[in-house]
Amino acid sequence: MKRNILALMTGALLLGVSSMAAVAKDKTIAVSWKTFQEERWKTDEAAIKAVVEAAGDKYISTDAQGSAQKQAADIEGLISQKVDVIMVVAFDSDAILPSFKAASDAGVKMLSYDVLVEDPNALYVTFDNVGVGRLMAKEILAAKPEGNYAFIKGDKGDPNATFLFEGIMEVLKEAMDGGKIKNVCETFTDGWKPDNAQKNMEQCLTSTGNKVDAVVSENDGMASGVVAALDAQGLAGTVPVSGQDGDKAALNRVALGTQTVSVWKDARALGKIAAEAAVAIANGTDPTTLAGASKFNGGAKKIEVNAILLAPNPITKANLGDVISAGWISKEEACAGVKDGVDACK
Amino acid sequence: MSNTPSSQSPALSQESAIARFLRATEIDTRMLGMIAALLVIWVGFDIYSGVLRPGNGIFGGSFLMPRNLWILLVQTSTIAVMTTGMVLVIVMRQIDLSVGSMLSMVAVATGVLQVYNLGPALGLGHPSIWITAVVFALLLGAAVGCFNGFLIAYAKIPSFIVTLGGLIAYGGTAFLIAKGVTVAPMDKTFKLIGGNGPLASIGPFWSWFLGLSACAGIVLAILNGRRQRIRFKFPLRPVWAEVFIGITGSIAALGATAVVNAYPWPHKVAELYALENNIVIPAGIENRDGSAICMAADKIVHCVDGLSYQTGFPIPVLIALAVGFVMTFIATRTRFGRYIFATGGNPEAAELAGINTKRLTMMVFTLMGALVGISSVIASARLDAATTALGTLSELYVIAAAVIGGTSLAGGIGTIYGAMLGALLMQSLQSGMTLLNFESAYKDIVVGTVLVVAVFIDQVYRRRVK
Amino acid sequence: MAKAKIKFPVKAAKRAAPSRVVKSKPVKVQPVPEPFHASNRGTPLIEMREISIAFGGIKAVDHASIDLYPGEVVGLLGHNGAGKSTLIKVLSGAYKRDAGSIHLNGQEVAINNPRDAKGLGIETIYQTLALADNVDAAANLFLGRELRTPFGTLDDVAMESETRQVMHRLNPNFRRFKEPVMKLSGGQRQSVAIARAIHFNARILIMDEPTAALGPAETAQVGELIKQLKADGIGIFLISHDLHDVFDLADRLTVMKNGKVVGSARTSDVTQDEVLGMIIAGKCPKGAIPGPGALRDQAA
Repeated sequence: MKRNILALMTGALLLGVSSMAAVAKDKTIAVSWKTFQEERWKTDEAAIKAVVEAAGDKYISTDAQGSAQKQAADIEGLISQKVDVIMVVAFDSDAILPSFKAASDAGVKMLSYDVLVEDPNALYVTFDNVGVGRLMAKEILAAKPEGNYAFIKGDKGDPNATFLFEGIMEVLKEAMDGGKIKNVCETFTDGWKPDNAQKNMEQCLTSTGNKVDAVVSENDGMASGVVAALDAQGLAGTVPVSGQDGDKAALNRVALGTQTVSVWKDARALGKIAAEAAVAIANGTDPTTLAGASKFNGGAKKIEVNAILLAPNPITKANLGDVISAGWISKEEACAGVKDGVDACK
Repeated sequence: MSNTPSSQSPALSQESAIARFLRATEIDTRMLGMIAALLVIWVGFDIYSGVLRPGNGIFGGSFLMPRNLWILLVQTSTIAVMTTGMVLVIVMRQIDLSVGSMLSMVAVATGVLQVYNLGPALGLGHPSIWITAVVFALLLGAAVGCFNGFLIAYAKIPSFIVTLGGLIAYGGTAFLIAKGVTVAPMDKTFKLIGGNGPLASIGPFWSWFLGLSACAGIVLAILNGRRQRIRFKFPLRPVWAEVFIGITGSIAALGATAVVNAYPWPHKVAELYALENNIVIPAGIENRDGSAICMAADKIVHCVDGLSYQTGFPIPVLIALAVGFVMTFIATRTRFGRYIFATGGNPEAAELAGINTKRLTMMVFTLMGALVGISSVIASARLDAATTALGTLSELYVIAAAVIGGTSLAGGIGTIYGAMLGALLMQSLQSGMTLLNFESAYKDIVVGTVLVVAVFIDQVYRRRVK
Repeated sequence: MAKAKIKFPVKAAKRAAPSRVVKSKPVKVQPVPEPFHASNRGTPLIEMREISIAFGGIKAVDHASIDLYPGEVVGLLGHNGAGKSTLIKVLSGAYKRDAGSIHLNGQEVAINNPRDAKGLGIETIYQTLALADNVDAAANLFLGRELRTPFGTLDDVAMESETRQVMHRLNPNFRRFKEPVMKLSGGQRQSVAIARAIHFNARILIMDEPTAALGPAETAQVGELIKQLKADGIGIFLISHDLHDVFDLADRLTVMKNGKVVGSARTSDVTQDEVLGMIIAGKCPKGAIPGPGALRDQAA
């Protein structure tokens, strides 16, 4: 409390001394997290906080603890505190819409982070999720331009699983229509669980008599099950396998050669871009003029919003060094058990 | 006191041949029903899969192939191990909903221990790593189970609540231990416990050795039983019935051995093994469907007569069989087991007979925890990774297997082999449907329906027996 | 609480050596030097002094005293809730008493659980029979004191063999040794419960409504058995609603009302009507020794 008062007094003092400086220095950027229990959001927060504080602005946050009601109340509270920008990781992207409208009406700039909220006045900052599917398919296609493909999809109840699959099919369609690629197994995996993926892969190999040339797995966890099943048949390392998330174990598999690609969505990059955008719009910059800004209307209601879509980074043996130099994984972890031939491990 | 001869000696002459056969052999008709159901499912899947895509199965499909049956057994082992403990828990009129979460917690903790601690400290592949990891998993499982049991027996909190809390809390603990990260890869020797790949099997010689030992065991058990009955002048089973049981049991043991031995090493595995150990690959004529490998024009190709290895029993299946054997022994041959059943039948009577039912409850949950420890080792070794998601929701399958296997939720009734057969039946359904590329929603519907129908049939059967 | 704990030599020997080879051991208990009689006063076999027990403030048994001599049958009478079953459960170790003491052959003994009671040769046939319905007769008979092989495993064959012998004596037509007791008739179940009580050299037998679920013929059989056990020198507490039974079988009777003893008498000294008066009104007749529960004006 004392600190806040002190900050306020300092701010007021600065305001008196130099009105120019005050424009840049006394903005408040707030983040409403949907839940802070998941490890990854802490990574995002660190990146956001660093950018905001470097710009001389103030960072505050609230935690909705996995409740849509609490999140609405949180945003209401932030509006009454007269913050400049609120970034929202929505728990329920429909239920939060009235809060977005109320904020916009009060003159607070809104930004939806990672989770799309279909409010035309809000800026949407996220990774290009359809792009993740496309990237996986591209890497696998490059490694195995023709042959029998197996598709290990995520949980049937998660729209992301289908979403990813659409991106995958977009890339593979041509080769499939041309008969170069044959879909020999395609299965959802209950709960995205690695052990279920392993069983699904085992059954796929049994039913095809091991005639599987490439596996598109929708994430790294399932890829671990897929690789285990391939390994049992002596096929690990010869059959390309995809994944996403940049799991440490998956990056190690990339280095070992048993997994071809892990599409990496760097939470810190996302946090950094979003925070920079937030600082900019707090200072009155028009969101459409921001670097990388585009229009996005891929949501359920097809409402067009301003968006910054970050391209995810497909990590393969060739660019494994990126994740190491970014500090995402240590060289020891990534290269455990690697014998030779990987530049990043030298 | 009372003499009701009519109910004691039903007129034998009126019995049908089948009833007389069952009476003479003392075969559990329930078990017979389950085996029949299992066979129907297997044959059905083989025929159906053959229609979709011809394979090498007995009926032209891809289900009744040594390879698929071998994998089926491996896939069943985790649930099979846990369900033996669940039988005793349910017989005691308790329930354990926490086994799935406990499995992931133990697996992740064991994974962290061997990958982050023991690996760097002792050097990768050090022989004591896997032993330490296994012992640790067993002890941690037993300790957590003991804690559950303590709360249930001494703090008098219903087991449903204690283990429901465990289901939630142990899942959270599993996440915290590794911060949600997948821990991999496992130690090389540890991995063998998961039966992943033919190298984690005992090969044809030891498989036959085990199969023949099982036959010898069956014969000895029959002879010993007969000797005991003679000594105490009890009525004897007809000799033909004894012979029949002996032969059927031996055929089953040897048949299982033949099946697992008929699964050849995958080509790639055999190839790598041959290259690593400087084994000469014989020359031969290429045949794409052959199960062996040959050299043809300086290339390694598939062929019929060439280098080939038989797989044999996978380690996790042996562990599950051993657990089933030991648990059956505990349940039927020890005081501990007798007390569990008596307490489940009538807790008050057990107390009046001087049985310490509280301690008994705690011990049963401890045993359950230790079995979860074994399963966690198998599961994480098999996946070659430990993740928070590993094993979650498996409590439902463990309980379902026990119930399908004839364990009564009212307590007092249940058999270890029945529950293990139940686990095999459920895994058969799931694997078979995956093989047929069923959508997973249908798989869920079928498995759920089978559970309910199995219990319904069981109820009808029991009412008729009464 | 009692300090001395009496060892029961026969039992101890039996426990120490659960031999695989089962001798054809008679069900009878150890021989008694001379036939006891109810009038044979001396040290009582068992004596419960000033026993009190309360459940949640309600005094189920209030300073009740009762005794039993070898070879004697004492009937315990009273309404439902009079406290007779509770008193007897204190003796069998099912309940822990709040106050009072128990003496076996004049020495104070500690009975804190059913195991203690059984160790002292006190066996009980409960009204509910207390059988584990899902296991067979032998498993019930030996529940809590199973015979074991030298390897420590259950010796089912030996147990079945002994069960066959004891059951043959009680119920010669019984054949269903392999079936769970839930499949047996009421009378057969009763025989299993009785067999369990008498098989382990009981010195004191507590029978809680042993004939409640039985027909006339079966009831008569129980009567025969009681006479036989009595002749063997076993002391029996017989809890019953049925006055005829008690007058037929018991040497003495004690009546309880509201947790207190109304009075005790030899069955030969009182009439059935007088006993009925004790049960209903708590009036103690001339031939009886009044207890603390007797009506005051009658007590003199």
